[in-house]
Formats: sequence, C-alpha cells, structure tokens
Amino acid sequence: MTSGTSGLLIPRRKALLGATALAAAPLAAPHIARAADPIKIGLLLAKTGQIAAQTEYLANGSFLALEERNNMIMGQPAELVWLDEPTPQAATQNMQKLVQENKVSAILGGSLSSNALAEEATAAQLKIPFVCNNAAATDISGKNCNRYTFRLNTPVAVQCRMLAPFALTYGKKWYFITASYAFGQDIVKSGRQLLEEAGGTVVGSDEAPLNTPDFSSFILKIRQAKPDVVWGGLSAGDLSTFLKQWDAMGMRGKIPFLEIAIGDTDIWSVGPEAATGTFTALWWYKNPNNTPEEKKFAESYDKKYGKPAADKAWMGWITARSLFESIDAAKSLEPMKIVEALEAWKAPADGYSYSYRKFDHQMMMKNLAVSVKPQITDKWDYFNVEAALPKDTADLDKVFGTEAEVGCKMG
Amino acid sequence: MLEILIPQIVSGLVVGSLYVLIAIGLSIIFGLLGIVNFAHGSFFTLGAYFALTLYQLFGWPAVILSPIFVGIVGMVVERTLIQKLYDKEPLISLIVTFALALLIEASVRLIYGGIGQPFSPPPFLSGFLIWGPILIAQYRLAMLAATTVLLLLLWLFLEKTPFGRILRAGSRDPEMVGLLGINLPRVLTWVFGLGCAISGIAGVMAAPLWVVTPSMATNAIMPAFVVVAIGGLGSFAGAVIAGLMVGVVIALTIQFYPSASGAVMYVFMAVMLILRPRGLLGERWERFE
Repeated sequence: MTSGTSGLLIPRRKALLGATALAAAPLAAPHIARAADPIKIGLLLAKTGQIAAQTEYLANGSFLALEERNNMIMGQPAELVWLDEPTPQAATQNMQKLVQENKVSAILGGSLSSNALAEEATAAQLKIPFVCNNAAATDISGKNCNRYTFRLNTPVAVQCRMLAPFALTYGKKWYFITASYAFGQDIVKSGRQLLEEAGGTVVGSDEAPLNTPDFSSFILKIRQAKPDVVWGGLSAGDLSTFLKQWDAMGMRGKIPFLEIAIGDTDIWSVGPEAATGTFTALWWYKNPNNTPEEKKFAESYDKKYGKPAADKAWMGWITARSLFESIDAAKSLEPMKIVEALEAWKAPADGYSYSYRKFDHQMMMKNLAVSVKPQITDKWDYFNVEAALPKDTADLDKVFGTEAEVGCKMG
Repeated sequence: MLEILIPQIVSGLVVGSLYVLIAIGLSIIFGLLGIVNFAHGSFFTLGAYFALTLYQLFGWPAVILSPIFVGIVGMVVERTLIQKLYDKEPLISLIVTFALALLIEASVRLIYGGIGQPFSPPPFLSGFLIWGPILIAQYRLAMLAATTVLLLLLWLFLEKTPFGRILRAGSRDPEMVGLLGINLPRVLTWVFGLGCAISGIAGVMAAPLWVVTPSMATNAIMPAFVVVAIGGLGSFAGAVIAGLMVGVVIALTIQFYPSASGAVMYVFMAVMLILRPRGLLGERWERFE
C-alpha cells in the first residue's frame, strides 16, 4: 500500500486553506455579499392625518410598480421601506433614519409641500436621490431645487396658468379660498398675477387653516362678496369638506368653483350629490388617451385592490417606475449615477414622452382639465376630460417656464 | 355691519352646538371618573362610521342605533382598560387613552380604508333657508334643534333622576357612595358608556357635515378639550356656554382675520384661564386638588 494521494483526494493542508478562503470570501469581495442583500428604496409618506387618504394610493402605486418587476431592481431582490412624515421636522428625521439606519439607495415621497420642501433640502445634505411624488409647491423645482431632487407634480404656478383660461370664461371677479401653507399661498400669488394680467379683480381671499372642519363662515363671506368664480386652493380632506358644505348651503351651481391639482380621492369623498367644479388633474383612469402601459397598470390596480386606480396611485407608480428603471440603467447604486440616469429617463406618454427636465428636474407632462359630470351614475366615475393642456406638446417647455423664469440654480 | 355679523354669529352658534355635544361627554367622564379621556374623539369617529354602515345596510332610521353601539364599545373599554386606571396618576390615563385613540384610528383605517367616505344629509333635511341676511342649511338647523333637546334631556337626567343623583354624589365622594351600598364600579361603567355614546351622537351629526375619515377625531378632540377647559372641568353648564362661545369666536375670526381661525380658540382659552383658572363655571373640587 502506498500512503500517497490519489488525484481525487485533497491534502489536509490544502483543504484547510480552501475552507479558510471560502470563509473569507465575503470579506475579500464585499460586493458579492451585498449582491445577495435586497436593494432598499425609502418611501416617505404620511401614514396619518387628512393626507393619508392620498398617501395610501401613492404607496399602493409604488408597491405595484415594484411587483410588476417581480420585486427586482438591477436583477437583485428589492424592497420598499415605508416611514411616516407627520411634520416637516419629523419627516427629515425619518429621512435620515432611512438613509443611515435602513441604508436605502433612494427615496420616494413628499406628500405635502411643507414636508417636501424640508425633505429636498435634507436629500441634498445627505446626497440621496429623492423623487417627490405628490407635492406641488413651485419652489420645489424652482428656487429651492437641487441636484438630488426630482419632482413629478406640475408646479402650482404652471397649473394656474393652465386653469386660468377656464376661470376667465366665467368672469373677472375672483375669490380665493386657500390652505394657509405653501400650496395655498402659492396659488394666491400665481392666481392674483394672472388675474391682474387679464384686467380682473380679486374680490376676496381667505386662508383657511389646515384641517378646518367647518367652512360655513367662509362660505358666508364668499356669498357676501358675490364673485364670478371661486378659485380654491384647499388640499385633500379640506377640499372634500368644503365642497360638501358648499352644496349644503345651496352654493353649488350658483358660483363656479375651480381648483388645481384635484386628487380623485378628494372628489370621491364628497359624494355624487355634492361634487362640483373644474380642476386640473395629472391623470384620470378613464382617460381614453392613456398609454397601453397605463391601461395595464389601471387594470392591475383594480384587480389587486378592488377599486379604480386614483391619480395618486398612478403618481406613486410612475415615480417609482422612473426610479427603478433609472437604477437599472445606471447599473449602480451610487447616488450620482442614479441622478444622471433619472435625468436621462423617458417613458411613453400620449404622443410624447414623460421625462424630467435636466435644468430643474421637473417632470414634463401635460395636465388634464377635468370637470365634474352633471349626472354621476358610477361612484368612481366623476369627471369629463375637457382638454389635455397645453394642447400642443411643443408648448410644454414654454408653459413650464424657461430656466430664467423658473429660477432653479443647481450649482 | 349687522348684515355681516348676524349670519356669522348664527353660523358660529350652530358649529358651537356640535362642540358642546363633543365636550359634554368628555366633561361628564372627567367629572365623574377623573379620567382625561384622550380617546374621546375616537368614539366620535366610531359614531360616524357606525352611522355610515347602518345607513348603507338598513337606511336612515337605523342610524339612531349608532350611539348605542358606541356606548356599548365604551362600556367594554371601561371594563377592560379604564377601570385599571382609576387609582393611577392622571398622566397614565392620558397616555393609555392616547394609545387607545391611535388603536381605534388604525382599526378604522384597516376596516374602511384611509379614503373619506361620502355621506350626505338625509333627503328630507337637504336644502337651505334664507331669512334676511341669514343663510342656514336645513340640516344644520335640525342639528341645532336636536342638540338643544338632547342637552335638556341630559340635564334633566343628571339633575332630576335618582341615577343622576348617584352619579353626582359619586363624583364628589365615591367612598361614601360605596358605603351606602351602591355598586359604584357598575355605575362608573355606565357613566363611561354614556359619555362615549354622547360623543357618538356628535359623530353621527357631524358625518353629513364633515367628511367621514379615520382621522376625523383630530378635528373633534381639540375643540372638546378647549371647551371643557374654558367651561370648567366637569361643569355641564360651563361646557354649554363655552362651546357656543368658541363657535361664535371662531366664526367672527373667519370674518375678520381668517388665517387666525385655527388658533383663536387656543388664544381664547389662554385668556380665559389667566382670568379664571378654574374656567367659567368650574368649582373647587377636593378630589382633584
């Protein structure tokens, strides 16, 4: 007998070395170990308060966008980590938590303008890509813009420009009833400017505190002022409450009501008997001009949640999609590479492409002018689509404003 | 000027009457049980949601059952949770009832979803009335009348019935009431249920006015605390006067300085408490001092 080794047997020393090398492999090649970990994306949306009715849809849309990709980004498992944004201060704290504790690679969120303004500053500080999926304050992609922040919702000033021609058809005496924070104040500023340019008069302007439960005293003031049109700037549940009380006090149909950025959930909460008004909206599930991908999304949403996809669901879906596809394109989780990929991202829209404009990271998209149907027979189907604005796609840049008009300086 | 002020005062009285109703339940519970019930607004929410469900299932007449169901939920909560807080620090009851409020809101959100539920006034109360400068929705007028009757009945119940006398005696000297052979724990369960049921009635009344959402308690609980603090803790008449005053003050602020309308009731409360720390009709209670 020989004591040598056959070709199949491994000497003990080599076996030990091999085992040690295998055990040490994750240390030597950390990127391989990380590849097995799920990619984490932060979701920073309010979980309580009036706005929670909207954020539920924003979150559902984002989760559905991930499910459509079998919960994979860059070929790796991915997950959304959802934290609350109860106040601007708490929102920024949770943003830091997402980055430092949860190790997310990018963040989706910003349900209220007041929160989003604070969050975008934190995003720049933490150097984390942040896609704002709901807030509409002009300054987010205007003077407060930064390289890491991208924004979906059309800025207040732009939506006002889109809606003003509709308001002017009713007359030149306007009354503003707006929320007493950034969103509402933005509307009054833009609306006043547009009305002055048209030679009209502001016959009244009231700021209502957030979560005002009773608007009857405001409605009495509006009635006394006898405007041609009421221009609203109330958000979420406050708009629903106002419209209910507007109807109860016999004002529906007497004075036209207009508002920008209606959320479907806001109008669904009002009920068919009391709903009224003309609005701008980003998306409507029954718009015949929705793209095949959007129609498929609406079907999937209905199938999964048993109710139609609200505009907020689409907003959650399209922003999440833009981020996930950009990370795929970047082939990296490095923040600046994701930012560059988001700047180059495009998706088909109705005869044009959705994209973020490079100099202000604002999503370029047409808005819908919708009005409440005179007779509502389906509890979800409230709107007639009056127009897609601007009518000519070539006018998008002009409507959204030039670099000098927007005032965004990313540095 | 009167043409502007009168409609606002009327509007303020109507809104104030709703605040009274929310606050009375809170005041009764605090006055008799010594519990600062932060979940009071949640029973208001439950009232609105039970009414909505009953209306959808059985129509308008069934809505009247909603406060009874809220009262039953309140009694169960008292038996399982609140009873354990009677000999604890007031801060403990505040924290526990705050947690209860969050639990109820989350449960409602889980069952009904976060979206607001449409709920209109009954058809026979839709429409509005105009008297000179005054414009008022018929539903609001009916609400004002119903609140007035309800408060009157409640006052008669507390002041003129043997049960009411036991409640008032129990709030002042529970030990003595126990020594007289009265089952005080059972009485306290009924009191908590009654307070919750009144909050439920307010929720039923508010449902067609406001939007029925899981977070609607937020709009109810703060005015209720303000009204109770201004009126005097545990004072029935104080809560009525304070509620109506708060409603009118808010309405007049909307007329002249609308952006302050959310803060004015707190300023009003601060001024009142500086001038009269026990509130308008608050008495000195040995139990709480």
